[in-house]
Amino acid sequence: MTKVREKSIKGLLLIPICLTFLYSSCVISQQWSENYASLDGARSNDPLIIDGNLQTVGQSQIIRKSGSLEVDLYVPSESMILLPEKKSVHRVVVHSTNLKAFELMARDSDGEWNIIHEHKGKHQPVFDLRIKPSYITDSIKLVVRSTTDDGEQKRKNLKVERENEVTLSGQVRRGRPVYKVYGPLKARAKIAEIKLYGFAEKEP
Amino acid sequence: MMKHISRIASGLLTILTLGCLLGSCTVLNEAQQRRAERLKNKQRPNLYLLKASRASIKIDADALQGESDHYILKFSEDLHDHDKFNEVSERKEFALSALSYMESLYEAMYDVFGFKPEHKVHVNLHHVYQGTTRVATTTSLGKHIVVNGELLKMISGIQLDFPINMYASPGTRIHELTHAFTNVYFLPVWFSEGIAVLMQTEYGRDRSITKFDSLDQHLRLDNNTGFNQLESWQGHGDIADMVLTFWRYRYTYTVVSELRERYGHDFYIKVFALMQKDRLHEKLLGKTPTSFVVYYFSQAAGEDLVPFFKELQFDVQKWEKSDILKQIEQSKARLQTQPRTRRRN
Repeated sequence: MTKVREKSIKGLLLIPICLTFLYSSCVISQQWSENYASLDGARSNDPLIIDGNLQTVGQSQIIRKSGSLEVDLYVPSESMILLPEKKSVHRVVVHSTNLKAFELMARDSDGEWNIIHEHKGKHQPVFDLRIKPSYITDSIKLVVRSTTDDGEQKRKNLKVERENEVTLSGQVRRGRPVYKVYGPLKARAKIAEIKLYGFAEKEP
Repeated sequence: MMKHISRIASGLLTILTLGCLLGSCTVLNEAQQRRAERLKNKQRPNLYLLKASRASIKIDADALQGESDHYILKFSEDLHDHDKFNEVSERKEFALSALSYMESLYEAMYDVFGFKPEHKVHVNLHHVYQGTTRVATTTSLGKHIVVNGELLKMISGIQLDFPINMYASPGTRIHELTHAFTNVYFLPVWFSEGIAVLMQTEYGRDRSITKFDSLDQHLRLDNNTGFNQLESWQGHGDIADMVLTFWRYRYTYTVVSELRERYGHDFYIKVFALMQKDRLHEKLLGKTPTSFVVYYFSQAAGEDLVPFFKELQFDVQKWEKSDILKQIEQSKARLQTQPRTRRRN
């Protein structure tokens, strides 16, 4: 009876050991795929972010939707990549000189955009992101929430001015201070490259 | 009797089954057609999403000039001291990026039009251009050559000039590059600007110029000529009357877009293909009248479009090919008194 129990305990212990061994061997043998963003037929709203050249620097783009500056001020800039076919994306690498906070979104088969990663924090020259669980999609976009250049942009485009009035006698009466907006208050992200990876397919 | 009835019933059942099968085949066919249409729409070229370029790019050691497969880019003197371009590394990064982007745009534009300029396009970047930071232009240099004893007008060079802050707008790049592509057809100014705004707006998704909701209600006439104000457009913006200039951009875009909506996405591609086939635009010397392009619009649409343009008070007559040939002969006689052409959009 005790022998049987011993055997069953040993067997139970062996199962997780075997599973761990199996899993680790799978992970060790697994390699990243080629960069999907550089596949023939991949397109972007700035082709410089998918040209495989870190020396060329692209920018996130703002789609002017309304024709009104007031409305468009609140539209964030974004970098979009359209793949020639659906791929399972496990890893995203973003090379940027000013990106701080952003959302990474992927489009599902119904055409809806879903957030697959969110970063709020410090600027890093390279963001190497693991997408868990992986996401099968043909469209990825990076929505820019803040950059290190936002302050400079705000100083440039938001100014306090006084609504002065000229009286009948020709004197200038000091008016109340008002904020005047001369352009977007948030800077666009400078992006050298966005790379998308899945797992490499094994050769038959 | 019973046997007879059962035979008829089985016959009917067979016919019904066949009908259902055929019907389902039709439904399947329709579904396949819809899918094919969806795929076609998805693959329709647009200038908002671009492929990365594989063009070769060379930048000079001082990075004041760069050259790629289809462009020569220069920083003008007023940028040499600009705080963002006064170092070689800054200029080099910018020139590499600008040329790579413009090459991608060039390829996409070629996909749309199916033709391209013969010469390399010169791109000049300025801090201030023509005394302002809000005007970008395309200049096409024209020349006359004799081929087989016939006098033809040709484009000998194209130059795009951008103040650096206008270059930052992808819509402006698309607008000016459209001129570089289409100026080879010596289009009337209103049509040249209309197609450039159409490209920047509907292919490039730039919404800075919007359409009017009605062509009739927003029609403006030139008090001197009595024709549509678009006919008096001499090219580029009139700084003195920005309201009129903005109206012209909006109105011509509305006209050009209206025809595209009526006659299909490839309407203007057909127009250019017809013009290319005849090559009469090269023989008609001097300015191209609206009647000339309306002749090709009518050919591409398959119906006479003169009444449409007459209603909008354009200076237009119904021309046949024989009329165009007559105009060509008259234009040759007029050429003796006209200077060399240089057109700026």
